Amino acid sequence: MRVMNLRTRLAIIFGKLVSILSKTFALGAGATWPGEIALRIQPRILRILSENVKHTILVAGTNGKTTTVKMIETILAHQGWMVTHNASGANLDNGIVSAFLKKMKSTYYIFEVDEATLPNILKDLTPEIIVLTNLFRDQLDRYGEVDTIAEKWLVALAGLDRQTTVIINADDPHLAFIGSKLAAKVKYFGLEDPSLFLPKMQHATDTIYCPNCGVRLTFAGVYFSHLGKWACGNCSFVPPKEDVTSHDFTSPIEGIYNIYNTLASALVAQTLGINNSDIRDALTHFTPAFGRMETIVVQGKRIKILLSKNPTGFNESLRTVAASADKGPILLVLNDRIPDGRDVSWIWDVDFEHYRNFRNYFVSGERALDMAVRLKYAEIHPTIIHAVTEVLSHVEKNEVLWILPTYSAMLDVRKQLIGRKIL
Amino acid sequence: MKLTIGWLYPELMSTYGDRGNIFVLTKRCEWRKIKVDTKTIDFKTKSAEIETCDMIFGGGAQDRQQGILVNDLREKKGPVLKKMFDRGIPGLFVCGAPQLLGHYYMTGEGKKLEGLGIFDMVSKHFGKSKPRCIGNTIGKLPDGKTIVGFENHGGRTYLGKGVKPFAKIIKGCGNNGEDGTEGAVYKNCIATYSHGPFLPKNPHIADWLIAKALEIKYKKKIPLKPLDDTLEWQAHEAVLRRFT
Repeated sequence: MRVMNLRTRLAIIFGKLVSILSKTFALGAGATWPGEIALRIQPRILRILSENVKHTILVAGTNGKTTTVKMIETILAHQGWMVTHNASGANLDNGIVSAFLKKMKSTYYIFEVDEATLPNILKDLTPEIIVLTNLFRDQLDRYGEVDTIAEKWLVALAGLDRQTTVIINADDPHLAFIGSKLAAKVKYFGLEDPSLFLPKMQHATDTIYCPNCGVRLTFAGVYFSHLGKWACGNCSFVPPKEDVTSHDFTSPIEGIYNIYNTLASALVAQTLGINNSDIRDALTHFTPAFGRMETIVVQGKRIKILLSKNPTGFNESLRTVAASADKGPILLVLNDRIPDGRDVSWIWDVDFEHYRNFRNYFVSGERALDMAVRLKYAEIHPTIIHAVTEVLSHVEKNEVLWILPTYSAMLDVRKQLIGRKIL
Repeated sequence: MKLTIGWLYPELMSTYGDRGNIFVLTKRCEWRKIKVDTKTIDFKTKSAEIETCDMIFGGGAQDRQQGILVNDLREKKGPVLKKMFDRGIPGLFVCGAPQLLGHYYMTGEGKKLEGLGIFDMVSKHFGKSKPRCIGNTIGKLPDGKTIVGFENHGGRTYLGKGVKPFAKIIKGCGNNGEDGTEGAVYKNCIATYSHGPFLPKNPHIADWLIAKALEIKYKKKIPLKPLDDTLEWQAHEAVLRRFT
């Protein structure tokens, strides 16, 4: 390691100090503040911390980041490897630096990266592997349009060479298009299971026009949103050949989106030289990340929390609840803080019309009234509540309470139920 | 009774919950036993089919999507829509609509994009010199009632003499953040910078559109049966309370 200058050493010392203080006094800020302090002292800290690390894996995309990172972590740790990841989902530069500072001697670093932050991270850090999960409309007020993100990604990823492997969801036409333009090594994963096709296209789709020529794509079938078996009848842009499909691995948890997360993680593991039987074995030990299909028990009642923060994620959560053997009331918690997006318009893109048969709907959160109006026009009449605990008395024995919260709402719900927001 | 609502390019002009407006119009008609037929207006739709519509709705489009449809909309749909709006057919255009419906839209790079020219107004993007307008909005209508919404636009719109402002902006940026206007009204056609689901929390505007559509179609005023809008007004007032 090259000799660090004073500024860098100070950045690391102060960052670590904040980390220790935060932990000792349970300030709950350990995921971002150590990195924030270190970045203020040494803005190039990420480059310095990462330049001697051989194995860095980044995961970016609208949905599935936290679960995919945790799956990769599970598989690598199962090999006995030293792994560090940003488990709390703090996925801006300060979160990534904080994770580095927390454990500086790991061999493998796995980070989820916020969509808008990815181009900046790539200026300082050249990953061994980068996973692109999917791109859907999400927090328009913060991220802008899907196309804007895709364009910025293409520019940022175009700078990577063959030292980096980019692992891409082949079922997302826009990501496949990005893959076709890169100098880096590219590998693809995708579903191959027509039994999971939706009967018809959902409303919440983003890339249904060819990213190459602009003509409407045709779909032999869709799994959800615009993820599916697409084709362009007009130009030479064709779906890439997949390196891993749903024939190869099965998901350890419910939900079709978790099959994608599983395939992405398995392909990362394969790229790192782990054999398929080890990957399968490791996945049987997987436990969900906080708020992502997480099960908790409170007052003897079973509760499943499914983070639902954009139309596509929400639709898939509802589909998972409907398909589950676990029945029970459903609580939707809608907030409009900055991590949720100030704009709650997106709830009108969720297909509640298909889910009128759930036994009982409850709504809560800062925008509970907006959600109640949304449900009213789907002919669903929810009960508005103020505290999550009010619902518990409505959960029968052998039932599960399903909670579908936005991001800050998920933290509030966990705080109310188990006394802590994140880990 | 029956109404046909024409929905402009639903696949391309649906950025963020825009279809909420269609859901609200449809349900509020159905709850009053008025049948609704929603007709998609896209590349294939002929003028004669468009003319069967009693109301027109247009949502917001992302830049790439707008690029795909703008020529078709201006050249093949523009003239017939203008004729219908002149006849009093009501319309609702949300989001970037003011930029599309006016004479032109000057992009941040100084490129002049010709609009439909139905509304007497022009729009201009000032590049980085003026920030994007993002946030909750509240407006006051000429009759004193309020409207609530959420705006998210980079361009600024300036009204000519041929249109009236839709509302006076109380909270937010509105058309340009300078003259206090929000949106525009031409005959029975409303353009607003509120994006996405504008009607759910503004049931009075939804009913105004429905009433106008019925009046033009059946050539007489048809009183609308009142609905229980307690929930909608609670949501409306929650926005007024939080953001004023």
